[in-house]
Amino acid sequence: MKPPPFHYVRCSSAADAVALLSEGGEDAKLLAGGQSLVPLLNFRLARPSLLVDINHIEDLDYVREDEAELCIGALTRQATLERTSLRSCWDAIAEAVPLIGHYPTRFRGTVGGSIAHADPSAEIPVLCLGYGARLTLVGAGNQRIVVADDFFLGPFMTLIEPSEILTDVCLTAPPLGASTAFEEFSERHGDFALASVFAGMQLIDGVCSWVRIAAAGVGPTPVRAAAAEAALLGSRASDADLREAAAALASECSIRDDFHCSAKARSEIANELALRALTRARGKQVGVAGRRSEGLHQPSSESSAGEDN
Amino acid sequence: MLAAEPKSVGRPVLRKEDNRLIKGLGCYVADVNRPDQVYARIVRSQVAHAKLLGVHLEEARARPGCVAAFAATDIPDIAQKKIPVRITPSRLDQFALQTPLAVDKVRYVGEPIAVVVATDPYVAEDVAEDVWAEMEELPPHLDPLSAGGSVLHEMVPDNIVGDIDTSNGEDVDGLFRNADVLLHQRFSIHRHSAAPLEPRGLVAEADPQTGRLVVWGPTKVKHFNKRVLASMLDLPDNRILLIEPDVGGGFGPRGEFYPEDFLIPWLALRLKRPVKWIEDRAENFVALNHSREHVIDLTIAAQSDGTLLGFRCTDWCSVGAYVRTTGLTVAKLVGLHLSGPYRWRGFSSKVIGVLTNKTPLGTYRGPGEVEATFVRERALDILAAKLGLDPTDIRRRNLIPAEALPYRVETGPRSETLEYGSGNYPAMFDRLLANAGYQELKDEQARRRELGEAVGIGVACFLDQGGIGPFEQARVVAEVDGTFTGYVGVASVGQGVQTALAQILADEIGVSVDRARILHHDTDSIEDGMGAYASRTTSVGGSALVLAARQLKDNARRAGAQRFGVAEHEVELRADEVWARDGRVVTFRALECEASARFETSAIDFSFGSVLATVSVDRGTGRVRVERYVGHYDVGRAVNPLIVRGQLEGGAAQGIGGILLEELAYDDRGQPLCTSFMDYMLPTLSEVPYIETAWSEFPSEDNLIGAKGAGEAGIIGSMAVIANAVADALDPDRMVVTSTPLRADRVLGLLRASSSAPPHGISSTLDST
Repeated sequence: MKPPPFHYVRCSSAADAVALLSEGGEDAKLLAGGQSLVPLLNFRLARPSLLVDINHIEDLDYVREDEAELCIGALTRQATLERTSLRSCWDAIAEAVPLIGHYPTRFRGTVGGSIAHADPSAEIPVLCLGYGARLTLVGAGNQRIVVADDFFLGPFMTLIEPSEILTDVCLTAPPLGASTAFEEFSERHGDFALASVFAGMQLIDGVCSWVRIAAAGVGPTPVRAAAAEAALLGSRASDADLREAAAALASECSIRDDFHCSAKARSEIANELALRALTRARGKQVGVAGRRSEGLHQPSSESSAGEDN
Repeated sequence: MLAAEPKSVGRPVLRKEDNRLIKGLGCYVADVNRPDQVYARIVRSQVAHAKLLGVHLEEARARPGCVAAFAATDIPDIAQKKIPVRITPSRLDQFALQTPLAVDKVRYVGEPIAVVVATDPYVAEDVAEDVWAEMEELPPHLDPLSAGGSVLHEMVPDNIVGDIDTSNGEDVDGLFRNADVLLHQRFSIHRHSAAPLEPRGLVAEADPQTGRLVVWGPTKVKHFNKRVLASMLDLPDNRILLIEPDVGGGFGPRGEFYPEDFLIPWLALRLKRPVKWIEDRAENFVALNHSREHVIDLTIAAQSDGTLLGFRCTDWCSVGAYVRTTGLTVAKLVGLHLSGPYRWRGFSSKVIGVLTNKTPLGTYRGPGEVEATFVRERALDILAAKLGLDPTDIRRRNLIPAEALPYRVETGPRSETLEYGSGNYPAMFDRLLANAGYQELKDEQARRRELGEAVGIGVACFLDQGGIGPFEQARVVAEVDGTFTGYVGVASVGQGVQTALAQILADEIGVSVDRARILHHDTDSIEDGMGAYASRTTSVGGSALVLAARQLKDNARRAGAQRFGVAEHEVELRADEVWARDGRVVTFRALECEASARFETSAIDFSFGSVLATVSVDRGTGRVRVERYVGHYDVGRAVNPLIVRGQLEGGAAQGIGGILLEELAYDDRGQPLCTSFMDYMLPTLSEVPYIETAWSEFPSEDNLIGAKGAGEAGIIGSMAVIANAVADALDPDRMVVTSTPLRADRVLGLLRASSSAPPHGISSTLDST
């Protein structure tokens, strides 16, 4: 469990990083927090010839919130995000970030690293889908902005070109008064999630006027559940509507059996998490819109996001 | 005159080891470095079963930094260098022993096929990748129930390496004919094992002064390993010194003799340079003994009032690709422990060791005892449900009563007779239920079930065996600084030997515990020793120490009397001083006292334990949450209550992980699926509840300490009690759990099964006769 030989360069700006990546070609890799890459190196599952260490780029570490969006520098540590107080519409972030790995790993792991690594069960990519993120990619002499819905191509595969660097992620604020929730299930705290679900909802006069549902761990990429959203939009978000949406989510996933969980069980878990996330998001609307829960069973405290933290 | 030193045995003396270890001042094998050392890396098979046509080392040898590379053909007579069985031999095991490197076949993923040596551990891994093995793949044999199929070892054509019958000689057929009910059930237990946080490692060097071979890193059974190594290297025993550094967890697998225990010393002699090898975690998962994998058929005959009559059992144990040092111990102990703490009129079991293309199997904390307890206690719950009895009632009805102790159990015409010594099983079980508040728990469960919660209560009873012989040795020296050193042949794998044995030594001499020191570190300081296993270090190692200390006092009395020119009965011992009647005094150290002794025993201590757990199951996700875990154990005598508590709590936590999370799974090609802590999930504090631990002390009469096993008692009932609690949570008939592990996926499946009526997938049948 020691890595094969590689070259290592530390850089101090995004431009430097891009230049080094261009020179290094396909075998060059960025090293951010290293919480995924370093184990892959030690298992010899990743064999880059060049590691470009971007930890010392100073201007990519920020969290900026305004009415319209939440912009996070790619090198922002997950722990920084965890400790940032945000408005209630960003609840799903506050609930999800403590579930990323473990307390010590969040001090190294970065927001951008998690997105660029694109582990299909990771939390931050789901937040990107749920909050309709715009991702800034800087390449040699150009910069482009892509939307999260297009960004994730497969397990550990994204739109990022070999010589590009993700510098910024801007999450779109939900409509005023909307609420969000995040649910995740892993057998042990801190493990890769068997499934996780983002739910966002706004009810106006008892009618669902805005809804976002996204999930991870349920396919090769995180998914935005369009059919589930369609099932709720315009509905009165009754228990039956929520159940229908949760079932729709499971049907939108392409889950396969693996050693940790059968496809059937994972699908059941995703369905349950969707129901719980939607129920909690709806519950948060009570204060906003005066709507009462119809008594759908509340999640037990153990399964609510943020446990043990 | 000194006031008598208060006894330290029985007091919660802080562990002498901890101050050093917690500050990072321990010296583990990875901390051992020798001048000019080189680094070995084992090249392991990536396939489960194949003919080994050739191992090509040219490329590896050509890489800069490579010192040497060897395959089996480079080691003279390697086919004869088989790692022997230490305990529990079986009929054909000599045909299924492992050589240090694969000779003509590979039989599991992880089997060593070559060893390379480099100037740097990183380069060693690069060099290892250059080794190319030519193989012709064979189909793997993975299922212990299919004895036929692909043959692993030519001389074992049905892959059955041996079997062991256990029977008390009664007419089981007759009991079955006359029983009111028979319960048949098949159980399966998944492969899992210990995961010591410190992987193995060895540093070997030919001492430049003496030419003796010195090896750092052995533990558990050092003297046995020294003899094996001497024989495999064709060296006299006294040319080898094995040194045990600090060890970060043993749990059974760690410290047995493995291929590397030959290869690394052999390399040091061959290369005439110190060689260091530190196992990494991925290797550890395929190299260290696995454990626990069985399929077990059990049939119980009982009366309709719940009185147990007899049982029959067949256990197919997947022993992996080779028979390793602990032979068929794991399977044998299933047979010996099935009867447990209950009265049976007759029983008969057969355990079968089946070779499979997986990492070889060995003993792991509570070997066979955990498995036997799981199947018996699960079966008792199923039987109780079918007979309309409370789980506690069927146990109370059948526990061996106090007046029947000592209780003898015959195990076969050529096998030992077990004797269950002191104790009071029914009273201890009642204490457990009272401590846990069983009736209140039942009431609370009823209330929560009304609310729709899936909550379960489980109980389990078991016997723990410990204190096995045949002997231990100790040597006690009065040192010039006024301390006493006890050299012992047992080992420390982190269990607090240096403290508990120091308490025993200090008390026997009559000095404070800080004046007693235990050294267990090398094979030179003491002639022989059996080692650290079977919960025996305190009881058997401690007894040897008591005998040595008594001998030391006798020697001091004699030497003191001689010094004063008086008769022996005219001197008096006060702690470590010899007093003459006229007031003259001399210390043991001034007399340069030293003594050795050997404690021998053929007994095995059996101690009763019982546990209760409550769980809740999340119906939506299948998560099992252990809410309470309450244990009551008989530890004979708690030499150090802190250490005893730690052992019992740690065992429980390890057992909870074992049934809920940990699994050494393989795919259908024999590829291991768990070779990191990302996939092999140890329990963390988030998954383990506060462990409520209490004990009784019914002293053992088989050793001089009175202690019984405490190291394994904590884990033995864990699998059974969690399984029973989960079954109770999922199904009012407590039927559903017959296989492990109980991961979320499986639990969701069981929920589906128990919600459909009649239940599917439940194979237990109850016959009325």
